[in-house]
Amino acid sequence: MHSILRRDLLKVVSAAAGVAILRVPQARAAGAKARVVVVGGGFAGASCARYLRLLDPGIDVTLIERERRYTSCPLSNEVVSGERAIATLQTGYGGLSERGVRVVFDEAARIDPVAKTVATAGGKSFGYDFLVVSPGVDFDYGAVKGLTAELAETRLPHAWKAGPQTLLLRKQLDAMPDGGRFIISVPKGPFRCPPGPYERAAQVAMHCLHHGKKKAKVLILDSNDSFSKKPLFEEAYKALYGYGPGGMIEWVPASSDGKVEEVDAKSMTCLTTFENFTGDVLNIIPPHRAGKIARDLGLATVNGAWCPVRPENMESTVHKDIHVIGDACVGGDVAGGNAFPKSAHMANSQAKVVAASLVAKVNGQPAPDPIYTNSCYSVVGHEWGFSVVHLFRVDSGQWVYVKQGSGISPVSFGTKDAPKPVPRIYRKMEAEYADGWLRNLMADAFG
Amino acid sequence: MRKLLLAVMLTGLTSTAAAQTKIEVLARTCNTCHGTGGVSAGTSMPSIGGLPREYLKRVMKQWKYDERSSITMGRIVKGFSDDEIDALAAYFASREWTPTPQKAAADALAAGEEAVRRVCTDCHGMKGGDPDIDAPPLDGQWGKYMAIEVEKYLSPEFKMPHRRMGKAVTEVKATEAEAAVRYFGAQGR
Ligand SMILES: Cc1cc2nc3c(=O)[nH]c(=O)nc-3n(C[C@H](O)[C@H](O)[C@H](O)COP(=O)(O)OP(=O)(O)OC[C@H]3O[C@@H](n4cnc5c(N)ncnc54)[C@H](O)[C@@H]3O)c2cc1C
Ligand code: HEC
Ligand code: HEC
Repeated sequence: MHSILRRDLLKVVSAAAGVAILRVPQARAAGAKARVVVVGGGFAGASCARYLRLLDPGIDVTLIERERRYTSCPLSNEVVSGERAIATLQTGYGGLSERGVRVVFDEAARIDPVAKTVATAGGKSFGYDFLVVSPGVDFDYGAVKGLTAELAETRLPHAWKAGPQTLLLRKQLDAMPDGGRFIISVPKGPFRCPPGPYERAAQVAMHCLHHGKKKAKVLILDSNDSFSKKPLFEEAYKALYGYGPGGMIEWVPASSDGKVEEVDAKSMTCLTTFENFTGDVLNIIPPHRAGKIARDLGLATVNGAWCPVRPENMESTVHKDIHVIGDACVGGDVAGGNAFPKSAHMANSQAKVVAASLVAKVNGQPAPDPIYTNSCYSVVGHEWGFSVVHLFRVDSGQWVYVKQGSGISPVSFGTKDAPKPVPRIYRKMEAEYADGWLRNLMADAFG
Repeated sequence: MRKLLLAVMLTGLTSTAAAQTKIEVLARTCNTCHGTGGVSAGTSMPSIGGLPREYLKRVMKQWKYDERSSITMGRIVKGFSDDEIDALAAYFASREWTPTPQKAAADALAAGEEAVRRVCTDCHGMKGGDPDIDAPPLDGQWGKYMAIEVEKYLSPEFKMPHRRMGKAVTEVKATEAEAAVRYFGAQGR
């Protein structure tokens, strides 16, 4: 009775005051149990800020993000092919503000791990008890000779961070003539979204097929010798577009000289060790590394690129009370060949682990055992999709990849000796689930 | 003596607290696909918060032991112990069912209502909110999701073990079944 009354009253008050009542930072900060600052509001940082407030509204949460609108990379390959409007992948930060997250649109410029402050380019400073670093990735343009950040924004978009470059690449594909060649250069792993380049190849081929460009080619020049969900992609490539010499899609692995060393924007040529490939569209995806702010702080000690963290709560192994989540970190069963994939679902999952751990710590409770999950849907044609799921647990302080709770969509029905193709209806339904999955992922991070 | 009792009480408390946290941690992993708290924001993904406990247990165990076909869930639940599945079922069953009423064209609604009255109401109730003991609520479940489930019942490529439900969808035309689930999806509380 009492609480119902209170709730009704609150409703009335907040309705009268709009959402502003949830936003009085000073008043709230005074009585806060702890201050958490989150740097970077992508899938990782947004999810973490949101779950911290969901699990304990007594915690003061500040999110520092440089952009006012976020564009989801997941399903952005459908924007490249013209199948999807980019607006369906965009969101602002109003949902987080309404939950009491203080959202600051600014660039985090410097972190002082001793004074425990974050200074922004805009001249503000935020003190923290706990810091979450989730800046995603930066692109290492210098790794491919002839490539620059400026070229990526003009002639050679990588579109590996969804936004203006996605639309630019889409335009270039639109303008590509029949018989044209679209080259995708895949960097050496780890890169964000392991199946992403191969999904893009399929989406580009689909565009060509449906836009009177049946003689177009999609050439994948790869710095690796295998790829995620390979049998599923190859099945779809063959069935839908033709694969290999003579087909629409061709894949050149590193072992067959597929690694692009240099690019010449003037002649639109990719150079591998022994060959030159010219194309109408060059989609050069540069190698990545953790966002600058994480590297500047010295958190990225794995190959100078990635930030190692502790299995129990994603705390940096370099600095106490700093947690690194999302694409910037490295985790999982690395030695066993099952590192955490750099994916949006994984980022969301890591964020929940950190939120639960911090809430327990702040409230003097034992830390809950973490569980990490991943899923990633790839849509490779009209009514053709498939997915991969991962499950990781922590045992004796180590990440354990749980094989029984992980795996890709079935490659074959029937037995090893008598394989049967997987019915098309399975692929169709999976493409339908992909859209629902993205909506929930967005809502679970930004809602 | 009193100290001992207190210690026992305390450990009792912390271990239930720990067990409680653990299932919440596991349940939170479902939110990525099923929505925060199991209330879905995507038309093709089902809401699961507030489904009946026995139903949740049954479908998850059927997937785990390959008695029921799935696109995704079979791969996921195989990573969980039976106890974890039971705890997940209890957790999501304890939440309130939250219908998401969806718009549908008037003629589709009329056709749906007619089919529901003829066949489905027996086990699901006229609005889908009064299900038999072994059936889930359908009122305000996503129509797109339910249409996919109906397709599974109608396709020979899927093992869907509930025979009476399987038979019921064959008692209407495929278009009527589709209209019926859109009608259920349009219902609120
Ligand atoms: C084409 C493509 C397809 C993909 N498809 C899928 C998919 O199907 N499924 C899937 O799970 N994943 C997919 N991914 C991967 C997914 O996009 C990433 O794994 C995910 O975005 C990682 O989240 P994050 O928060 O770590 O980084 P980001 O999403 O990149 O977010 C980082 C944020 O930090 C901000 N930031 C960085 N530095 C600062 C600073 N100093 N100050 C303030 N703000 C800062 C940035 O502006 C950005 O908003 C795909 C990726 C691509 C490129
Ligand atoms: C990667 C996305 C994904 C994740 C993560 C996921 N699910 Fe599902 N879930 C699905 C899909 C897709 C379906 C439809 C059934 C299928 O797999 O074909 C579904 C269906 C269900 C259903 C059936 C609902 C109904 O109305 O009959 C239940 C119950 C369920 N999931 C429970 C869970 C639980 C519990 C978790 C967390 C442990 C979970 N799911 C995590 C994708 C997911
Ligand atoms: C004889 C009883 C019965 C009748 C009649 C019946 N159903 Fe069902 N329905 C069930 C049961 C029981 C389930 C759960 C099945 C299971 O456990 O696999 C179910 C499940 C469903 C589901 C899946 C829900 C989910 O959350 O996954 C849909 C959709 C559905 N029914 C629609 C219909 C429609 C439409 C009709 C009428 C054409 C209908 N049902 C008629 C008993 C019935």
